[in-house]
Amino acid sequence: MTRSRSVRRRRSRLGALPLTSMIDVVFLLLVFFLVTADFAKKENKLPSALQTEGGGVQSSDMQPQIIRISVLNGQPVFTIGQVRCGDRVSLESVLAQLPREPGVAIKADPDVPIQSIATALQAARNSGFARRSYVPGESSD
Amino acid sequence: MRRRSGTSGHMLNVDLTPMIDVVFQLIIFFMFTSQFGELRRTDIDLPKEQGEEETEKQQASMIIDLTLDGQYLFESKPMSLIEIERIAATGVASQPEGEPFDVLVRPDRNAPAVYLDRLLMRLSGVGVRRWKLATVDQEGASQ
Repeated sequence: MTRSRSVRRRRSRLGALPLTSMIDVVFLLLVFFLVTADFAKKENKLPSALQTEGGGVQSSDMQPQIIRISVLNGQPVFTIGQVRCGDRVSLESVLAQLPREPGVAIKADPDVPIQSIATALQAARNSGFARRSYVPGESSD
Repeated sequence: MRRRSGTSGHMLNVDLTPMIDVVFQLIIFFMFTSQFGELRRTDIDLPKEQGEEETEKQQASMIIDLTLDGQYLFESKPMSLIEIERIAATGVASQPEGEPFDVLVRPDRNAPAVYLDRLLMRLSGVGVRRWKLATVDQEGASQ
């Protein structure tokens, strides 16, 4: 009884703490950080030069080595000269044996999924080829 | 007994809370309006590759989305190849000398290469020499 009276007295002395304004500000801060937070997945990029048949952007006189991509039994096949590779690891091991100077050009059959082009570009990049280009096939649109 | 009149008897309390409220509201408003360009990024199943760490923080001059069914989107709006070619040509022409006109292509990973080839042929025809392929990490997480 005596305790509750003393608590009441203390409360009246301090006054009620106005929580509404604080909640206002806290919610605003919450909304602010929600808005500024970047929820989208970070995208990376694979840069490449554009090379067209019969006249390219490559200034070198040396012919770039060509990675030809085709689809065989639903699976992408990467061909360099006579060597065929089925995945990026084997493609990288073949590219590692080639000279870097001439660069590498990538050509793909029309039905090849773009994922395979990205794989070839990534393999060339990982193998240390600074000059990478893509040769778009002639297609009627 | 004389009562005190005027403001002299009251303590002047400057309540900052409404001002902070308004300031935050303004900040959020400007954040929203300035982020619209980023938010308009179309949801596309990008090729899953590690990509390359960019040494220079240069924004792509033009971003083109390529859907699985071969639709080309520029600023989230479907466009024909002729329209994209026209926009790219204007961009290349207005680019300051020495600065390359970079195109970022955001393709669906399962889309056939023929759609990409058609786009790149058009772009190279108007003088685009560099392009980038957007990718995401294998796990979809950031590097």
